[in-house]
Parts: sequence; structure tokens; C-alpha cells
Amino acid sequence: MAVVDRAGPIADSWTRLADDQAPAAGATVIVSFARLKNEHNSLFSAAGKVGVEIAGDVKLEELEPFLPRLGLIVVRMNNMRDGRLFSIGRMLRENYKYAADMRAAGDLIPDQMLYLLRCGFTSFEVKDGFPIDSLRRSVAAYTHWYQRIANSATPVTELRHGAAHGGEP
Amino acid sequence: MYIYDKFDHAITSERVAEFSQQVTRRLAGELSEDQFRPLRLMNGLYLQLHAYMLRVAIPYGTLSTKQLRKLADIAKKYDRDYGHFTTRQNLQYNWIKLEQVPEILAELGSVEMHANQTSGNCIRNVTADQFAGVAGDEVEDPRIISEVIRQWSTFHPEFSFLPRKFKFAVTGAAKDRAAIQFHDIGIHIVKNDAGEIGYAVYVGGGMGRTPVVAPLIKPFVARHELLSYLEACLRVYNMHGRRDNIYKARIKILVRDLGPVEYARQVEEMWPLTRASGVDVPAAEVARIQAFFAPPVYETIKEPVAAFEESKKRDKAFANWVKNNVHPHKVPGYGAVTISLKPIGGIPGDASSAQMHQIADLSDKYSLGEVRVTHVQNLVLPNVKQADLFAVWQRLGEIGFAESNIGLITDIIACPGLDYCSLANARSIAIAQRLSEHFADVDRQHDIGSLQIKISGCINACGHHHAGHIGILGVDRAGQELYQLTLGGAGDETASIGTLIGPGFTSDDVVGAIDKVVETYRGLRQNAGETFIEAYRRVGPAPFKEALYGRR
Amino acid sequence: MHMSNAKVINKVLTANRLRNGETVYYTPAGEWVLYVSQARVATTQEEADELAKIGAAAYAANLVIDVAVIDVTPGAEKKPSHIRELIRATGPTVRADLNKPITPPKK
Repeated sequence: MAVVDRAGPIADSWTRLADDQAPAAGATVIVSFARLKNEHNSLFSAAGKVGVEIAGDVKLEELEPFLPRLGLIVVRMNNMRDGRLFSIGRMLRENYKYAADMRAAGDLIPDQMLYLLRCGFTSFEVKDGFPIDSLRRSVAAYTHWYQRIANSATPVTELRHGAAHGGEP
Repeated sequence: MYIYDKFDHAITSERVAEFSQQVTRRLAGELSEDQFRPLRLMNGLYLQLHAYMLRVAIPYGTLSTKQLRKLADIAKKYDRDYGHFTTRQNLQYNWIKLEQVPEILAELGSVEMHANQTSGNCIRNVTADQFAGVAGDEVEDPRIISEVIRQWSTFHPEFSFLPRKFKFAVTGAAKDRAAIQFHDIGIHIVKNDAGEIGYAVYVGGGMGRTPVVAPLIKPFVARHELLSYLEACLRVYNMHGRRDNIYKARIKILVRDLGPVEYARQVEEMWPLTRASGVDVPAAEVARIQAFFAPPVYETIKEPVAAFEESKKRDKAFANWVKNNVHPHKVPGYGAVTISLKPIGGIPGDASSAQMHQIADLSDKYSLGEVRVTHVQNLVLPNVKQADLFAVWQRLGEIGFAESNIGLITDIIACPGLDYCSLANARSIAIAQRLSEHFADVDRQHDIGSLQIKISGCINACGHHHAGHIGILGVDRAGQELYQLTLGGAGDETASIGTLIGPGFTSDDVVGAIDKVVETYRGLRQNAGETFIEAYRRVGPAPFKEALYGRR
Repeated sequence: MHMSNAKVINKVLTANRLRNGETVYYTPAGEWVLYVSQARVATTQEEADELAKIGAAAYAANLVIDVAVIDVTPGAEKKPSHIRELIRATGPTVRADLNKPITPPKK
């Protein structure tokens, strides 16, 4: 398992914590959403940084109270065709204004990552041997697009009428 | 017509480059078939029985003659010299090689065409009224908002991995020629009491295993808010649509399970979120697109046009053709010609490269260079002067497309069926051909009147059998093709789903069974003006059942 | 063992070639060819399982897709038993001009 962003492999400082495992003082840990709900006070005070892993059936309004203090949200989809990931990403960024790292995990292929980036994801958990060249090519496949989305560049529907081009990806 | 600017061109050519490297990675083994399949489907590429099939998008069914010629040339160069126009107003090639697809997509891009999202679990090609812009009963040309939707839905980052495919249809007219209530979202352009143009939105219609006539979810969405409303509709579906069972994954099942009222409530709740994201396009952009669909310059012509009236009197065959195939035009002295791709005994929707070229020539000479595709698998020359109709009809006769059968019993919709399709259980085209030959007699066809037969070779219902006045569904019974009949379906503004009438018929018996249904109708209609569907709705299935199966 | 009671089977391995989509059949020489009559026939379940394994390996090697082991008639012609497979082997019934024969044309 490796973690990548749009440019390639990145160092991963996060440790996954089993539900019965206590966090080391000052550690950077990912916990389950159930545990976060039950133990958020002790977790946020003991650990250095807290991240959470959620799945497609998450209720975002339940996650909302913790968002300002979270350093990472991992959204896991076990099937590359399960597109709830994309909606969750957009809502977290656009509506809940979540600003820290957001990581897509699961059976993903490089060709999906541009769309994930456009929906607000910043990193990806991938299998070892993930084709990094294809990732780099795929995320650079398009210069323009039609929709105004999360942290996308200005869409052509606005560029056509004089808006300045900017932003990433 | 809409004309690409540098942005549209850039996006289209970047797509070709992207798919080209995806094909390379697939052939090199970097992508498995499971990984590649959704990518190729989103580029319109299926694997069928004999080869790959490429489905080219014809957005809202509008083509320039340059585009039609390109489609013809591609058929000649990369396929077997013909193409198949579909019920989604698209064109399919049946004998495509994977390794040549990037090249074909580049050729399409050169005439501002593509195969984007003609398959896959994403937003598909938007279909619309084939008489857009020329119909007299139109509130607004549906192609304007269809193009807005085409652009918005192209490579939409959130909605490209939906639970299942998603189809839009738009009509701007009172008469629904786009079957909008059989779509995932049907949009009816309306005017409110204040005289403002907006959209009535129907959600959750469809055919397939579970046919549903879409309920009205929102009677009026203002023009500048349509996209955020559609995003809310799609997001509720993307989050809550079923992914555990492919047969229950369409939005119609979600709307049915939640109930239209609850679904509408959830969309209302989501709408402020999508509105806040700023997805609605600026008014200036809608105005820019609208300008492309400004009416062409028409001549001022006084009706009646003497030569035209004279030809109709002189030639009964021509008069028949005008009656069935020429739709009234909003401009006096013009007509919209439907070219029947249903010659007697022919393959519904097929046209050879040569025929496509000939139709392009005809349109350049007589119809301001535009061609439309209908969801009934015919073509339209939308702007023909009445004075030219006789010449057009004669030329169509030379091409083999002058059958005067639009809306009649031989104007049959048929999916490709088991002759081509890997999903099919039974042949469709062969049945359509035999029915067409059986009912070939022009006078008999006119006597029978408006009657739509629609044939699907499997439960996926690409042949729209649920919406046929007479629907035929091919099934496989122990390795034998068997055909079930449904009666009473309709795809227009009186949309209804046909009722299964009884046990199926063998391939040998199905034509005779349809003949019995037709003769039963002729025997019980109140007068020559009562159409099949009107008569069926009056009397119900009983007399037809009795004719087919005897008294029980 | 009651070998005489074993079900009589005649099966061949078919698929579509990845790079061009052609319908192909697996031969005794280990090649994928256009004509069903040239296919290797399995007459026992063990032989059919062996064909399925060969098909799965060819799929994994990215040579072919839509792999299937199908029934054919006994005898030299090896006509597919089910209409779907017969149409796959010979082409659309509504376009005689585009059909291909079960056996390769004589040169």
C-alpha cells in the first residue's frame, strides 16, 4: 500500500489505529468513525493529529461537528464503480468547507483521479506498483472543463465571458 | 447549429488523446478488462457478438451535412459501409476494431462530433424533439437547453460513476415527440403565468425490466437555476440509488421506493447546496448558445404553393407521402420531411455510406444543410420548401427511402437484437422485416392508420416495446426465440405502458398474431378516424385476447 | 464407475480478440481462428474444464475477452447448438452479404 497525490508518491505520516488500541501521545492517527463519535474528547487531547475513515453510507451531518479539528478524512470505496465518493468529496469541500487533507481509498485506477481531484480530494491510497506515469498523465489530460466544481479551475462557461483562468487542478 | 469554439475543440481533442493512451495501456496489459470496460463504455465502445460496436453521439439528433458525410466516410473506411441510427438519436457502427477507435474519434472530432458518454453509468446523449426549431407548437427550441446540458454533463466529475446509466430528453412543444416521460429525467419547456420560460422536470421514467412513466417532480424551474436543480436530482440519486442490484439501480427505482413526494423533498433539501456551489451557467453563456439556434433566413412564400398542390393532385403516391412524411412547418411555404429509413423489408434505421452521402447532398440542395435523427430511427430534412417537395420525394425514391409510412404500421422501431447484440435473447430485425413485408400494401397501411410497432430483443427494451401501441418482446425459451406481445403502450404526451396480452408466439406465428390484432382493431373501431390506441383504450385487452387465444 | 452413463458432450472454446473484437475459436494447435469448424472439441467434462482454463489464461494474458465454452453439434461441421452462438459464428442473419462460413473458404 502506498499514498500518492497528483504528482506521485508522498510520505505517509498517518498510522491506522485499531478500535481497542490507545493512541501514543502526540501520534498522528486514523480512527474509525464509530470511535471518533464515542471518544473524540480523549482522542483529540491525546493524539497529535486525528484523521477519520468513512464509507459511502456516512451521514455528513454527523461528521460535521468534528470537521474543524480533523487533519485527514479517508473516504473508502471498495469498488471503483461506486461513485458516492465523488459526491461526498464535493459536499465536504463545497458545503461543509472542510479544508484539510482528503484521501480516496479503495480499488481506484489512475483515470479516475482527475475527477477525484476536481471533487476536492488531495491524496489517494493505492496498491503497491500503482502506475505512477499513468497517474501523472491522467491528471494532466485536460486543460479545461465545463463545470464549476469545488477546487477546479474557472470553467469554460465563464472563461468565454472574460473570467480569468486560475486555480487547480 | 451549435459551433465549437476553441474550448470545445480542446476538450474534444484532449479526450481523443486520453482514450488513445487508455487503449494503449489496455493492449499492453496495464489495464485489466474490468478496469478498462467503464472507460471504453464512456467512449461509446461495446463488445457485441461479432466485433466491437461504436456508438457515436448525435447530440439532440441534429447533424450538419458535413457531419453526416463524415459518418458515411467512417462507415466506409473503418466499418462495413453502413451505419445504424438508434432510438437515442445516435449512430452505431457494428464492425469496429479497438485499435482503430482513437483514429475514428479523431475523425469525429474534426467535424465537432464525439462518442462521449454514449454508454456507461453516466449522463448519456441528450435527446430532443426532432422538429426542434421548426415545429409550430413550440415554446422554445429544446436544443438550446440540450446543448447547455450536453456541456454540463460532459466529463462531469461527480456524475461519471452513477449507480446506472442516466438519460435526458427535452421537448419544447405541446406534442411530445421525444418520449420525455420514459427518461430518467424528462424536461418539458413551459411558460409560467408571468410569461417566463422555465422547465417542468419529470424524474424516474424508463423502460427496461421495470417500465415507469416518470412523475412530475417540479412543475417549474427557472431558466437560470436548471443546472443546480439537476445536480440536486443527480446527487440524491448518486448517494442513495441502489448499487447492490443492477436491475434496481436506475433512478426510477429510487423514486418509486421513496415515493415522488419524498424524492422531491430530498431534492429540495439538496438544491441550496448545489446552488451555493455556483454550478448554474451565466445568462450570457445561455444567450451565446441560444444565438447558434437562431432561425435560418427563410423566404417569404405565400400558400398555397400552386406547383405543390398540383403535384399532389396529379400523383397519389406523392400525396400519400406528403400526408404521412411531411410535417407542418412554422414558416408558410415550408415543410419538415421525415425520410423513412423503413423501406419495406429493410433493416430499420440502417443506411449505407452512399445513402448517407445522398441524403447530405439532398439537404444541401433543399434543406439548408441540416439533417435530424428521430427516436423512431428515421431522418428529417427540417427546412424544405413546398415547391421542392416533389423533387425531394423523387430523389428519395432513387435512394430507396421514399416509403410513405411515417407513423404507420411499417414504421417499426427495432433494436439490433440477436443479430448483433450480446445482450439479446431473440432477433428483432428479422421480425420487423417480415412484418414490414406482410403489411407492405400502401392502401392497407393507410386504412390501418396510426399504429406503432416497437420490437425489443430482450428485457432491456432498447426497442421501446413498452411504449409501442403493439410491443413485441423477444425472449429465449429453452433455446428457442419466443415473442411476447404487449398492447396499449404510448410514448407521447399520453404516455402509457403496454400490457402483456398472454403467452408468447414462436417466430413463425408472431406475424399472424399481429395480423389478428390489427384485424380485431379494424373490426371494432367506431369509425375510420378512431386510431388503434384510441380503440384499445376504449375497449381494453379482452377482444384482442379472445382473437389471439380464443375464449377461455 | 459407469462411464457409459457419462453425458455426451461436444464443446469448443470461443472468445473475441481483444485488439479487434473478432469472434474466434481455439484450435488443437493452440491458435485462435475465425472458423468454428477448426476448433478443438472437448468430449468429456475434463476436456471442457481444460478448455475453460485455457480461456481464462488467454483472458488474463490480454489476448481475448468474453471467453466461453459452448456446445456444438457432433461431427466435422461443429455447428454451435444455440442460436446465439450460431449467429456469432456466422454473422447477422439479416445481412447474408456479411456472413462468414462455418468452415474456411477453399483457397
